[in-house]
Amino acid sequence: MTSDNQQRPPRPMSRRALLQGGAATVAAVAGGRLLGSRLDAPAPTTVRPAAAVVPPVTEVHFAATDGWVSMPSGARQNPPFWPDSLAPSPFDLYVFGFRDVTGLDDATVKAQRGKAQISAPLLAFDQGTDIKLTLTNLGLSVRPDLTDGHTVHWHGFQNAIPLFDGVPELSISVPIGRDFTYFYRPHEAGTYMYHCHFEDVEHVQMGMTGVVFVRPAQNKAPVGGDPLGTKYAYNDGDGSTRYQREFAFMLTEIWAEAHYRDAHIQTTDWTDFSPSFWTMNGRCYPDTLAPNGNPMTTTAGRLQYQPNSSLITANEGDRVLLRLANLGYQNHSLTADGITLTTVAKDAAPLVGRDGTKHYLTGNSVEIGPGESRDVLFTAPSPGTYLLYDRDYGYLNNGGGGGYGGQLTEIRVSPAGTLGPQTTPNS
Amino acid sequence: MNPTRSPRFTSAAPVVLAVAIVVALTMPMPSAAAATTDGLPCEANSANTFSLDAKAGYVSTPDGNSIYMWSYSSSTKAFQLPGPMLCVDSGVTVTVVLHNTLPEATSIVFPGQHHQRANGHPAQPQADTTGLTSLTDAAAPLTGSVTYTFTAGSPGTYLYESGTDVAKQREMGLSGALVVRPPGQPDHANGRADSAFDLNREYVYLLSEVDPDLHLAVERKRAFDVTKTKARYFFINGRSMPDTIAPTGAAWLPNQPYGSLVHLKPFVPGDPDSRPALVRYLNAGSVNYPFHPHGNDQRVITEDGQPVQGAGGSDASYDKFLIDIGPGQSADTLDQWVDAEHWNGETNPIPVPLPQLQDQIVGPGTETWFSENPYLGGQPGEVPAGVVRNNQCGEYYMVAHSHALEQATNYGASFGGMMTLVRIDPAAGCPS
Repeated sequence: MTSDNQQRPPRPMSRRALLQGGAATVAAVAGGRLLGSRLDAPAPTTVRPAAAVVPPVTEVHFAATDGWVSMPSGARQNPPFWPDSLAPSPFDLYVFGFRDVTGLDDATVKAQRGKAQISAPLLAFDQGTDIKLTLTNLGLSVRPDLTDGHTVHWHGFQNAIPLFDGVPELSISVPIGRDFTYFYRPHEAGTYMYHCHFEDVEHVQMGMTGVVFVRPAQNKAPVGGDPLGTKYAYNDGDGSTRYQREFAFMLTEIWAEAHYRDAHIQTTDWTDFSPSFWTMNGRCYPDTLAPNGNPMTTTAGRLQYQPNSSLITANEGDRVLLRLANLGYQNHSLTADGITLTTVAKDAAPLVGRDGTKHYLTGNSVEIGPGESRDVLFTAPSPGTYLLYDRDYGYLNNGGGGGYGGQLTEIRVSPAGTLGPQTTPNS
Repeated sequence: MNPTRSPRFTSAAPVVLAVAIVVALTMPMPSAAAATTDGLPCEANSANTFSLDAKAGYVSTPDGNSIYMWSYSSSTKAFQLPGPMLCVDSGVTVTVVLHNTLPEATSIVFPGQHHQRANGHPAQPQADTTGLTSLTDAAAPLTGSVTYTFTAGSPGTYLYESGTDVAKQREMGLSGALVVRPPGQPDHANGRADSAFDLNREYVYLLSEVDPDLHLAVERKRAFDVTKTKARYFFINGRSMPDTIAPTGAAWLPNQPYGSLVHLKPFVPGDPDSRPALVRYLNAGSVNYPFHPHGNDQRVITEDGQPVQGAGGSDASYDKFLIDIGPGQSADTLDQWVDAEHWNGETNPIPVPLPQLQDQIVGPGTETWFSENPYLGGQPGEVPAGVVRNNQCGEYYMVAHSHALEQATNYGASFGGMMTLVRIDPAAGCPS
């Protein structure tokens, strides 16, 4: 340990890293945040020159706290657990979660205590970029008696060192009112996920889960005569993972009884796990179709703190990339009626042998276990509405009631040329 | 987390370990420091003949519980869970003599093995007037025996397990691992040249789970409904975290001989002596176990004893950060940790500060595996008073656990259950 590394940023809540970045920070931030909390829409990612000796730096600031969200109002009630009597209108479910507070001043950051969102902000970075992610623990507004720490575990990051892996027992975690900056330099493109690893069975279930993906270097050096600006899922060498539109999905289950018990100062035996809601990006159908929102405004009403849309839109003929991640505790199989799905990667690793042979999988469903990711490509068929849903019909309801709900969303295909180029994922 | 949980929800591991540490001052006792055991603890002999007793015994869980189990044990040794790791070469004739001491009939099936015979005739499902009674020839209660023979299948990892009253006897613990090696190439996982691994870095993860209520009912000869089991404990080789990281043969786990701490050094590309480790996953339970090694992909090269390959022998193996094993399935994976950034406190420091101790939560229990130094092999730093540091020389620890996170608990208490650690030593080794 050198004394240089014993330096603490000034208290409270260091803004040092951000202040150092200046204007460059703002530009870099645009490359890292996609669906966030800032009022100004993030600019589309600019293609940076190839990394020199010093890679470009992206700085992100997250806050961890608790809050309230909403499950579909027509769901079967499960008194006293759901809807929760403590929930302020228009909400009904207690959660823990992350918030993207990049660029906000200290007072505004602190004001986000009790305003967690699910799923967590969608993060995207470029391969070879340096990432500094500062996590601030704002504490739990509903449970001031608790002293829980929080961490960020970038799930699947290769060759990590323990300090940046976010496992409390093998590194450190962030106390309430403090912050810690994680450093990442991703060398492997692909779809990953992140979550808090403090009391993981509780904090993951409570909502501290999000998708993070890494764009391949090949985007800056297209293959096969493709123009600059072409997007690829991986460094495939042959354009086989080329796509026009991308949509990320965090699949989770919500066990409403455990959320109630956390809010009401009771304990849960996690081996009794028995979920009642099945979510895509923190929402159940039909909420999955609502547009992307902004947790800093009340525009979205009861979905204010569930800003991530699951609606898929495309033009006929577009290649569409589904980035699927599962941080529930159950296996899921997704299917899209009438659409052939090609899985090009599992767990951020392309299905390519060590001898270079490709072994992509083509079918009409994609199976994904807890903690796994899948990159799935399809070609948008003729105009119309198609459904993407969990093939376990038992998960297609809300709160155990009848009707359609849970992990179900729509693929809306327009005639070729209708939609302009996609500028941000899930839009 | 509620810091004032009722005792049932308090992870007992720190308490037990604290006691152990106090006792350690006066007599040799284990702490939860991860002790390494290199190489697979194989049962093997030139005749490929094994004598196994089906018997009852007790195992301990880290929260202080004691559970009545059934398992296979070598006839010359005490009760153990799981059954002995049997190692043979592909193609040899293997003989397993089963002696039953349990109060009901039992048997062994050998999925993936060929020409299975029992007492000299082809092994057959057993039936009576009520229907199927056993998947294979069974040994009578208390005193029966059966001699099974088979030809070892293709190289890989297999279960052997009870074929009688399977839902109950599987739950009770009657299973073990059978490792089949390519003849003359013990350091290859399968017949392919690209399956080479370090024989001193070979591990079996036999995954299972337990509903203690069912075990208590069997022990006390009470009625139970096997369809209503609710797993509370989750095992790797019959142990739960933190027992999983205790060494193989640990004296304080007399009936649970097999550890699962993976012990690596940074991989050196191009160095013929720097080979990957091999982790052999087996699911002896009845649900999927989605197993997540942190900070490191593992490459799945063999599934159910078959090399993962495509047409013409092309390599179809794949990297995974989560190995999702279904019931009865196996997967063999190559594991190597690469020092990607070569962080060094003097020449290449990490670009963000380590907070001062007062701004960290260390633990969060009474122990940590972190050296309080970001650098591999760095001098361990200070830990808060009252926290035990299970770190010897600045080695790294990564966790590996089920990501159906209720399975990574001991009866609901976190940092337990189906979980182990991967220990990464500095290149120069650890001087202890």
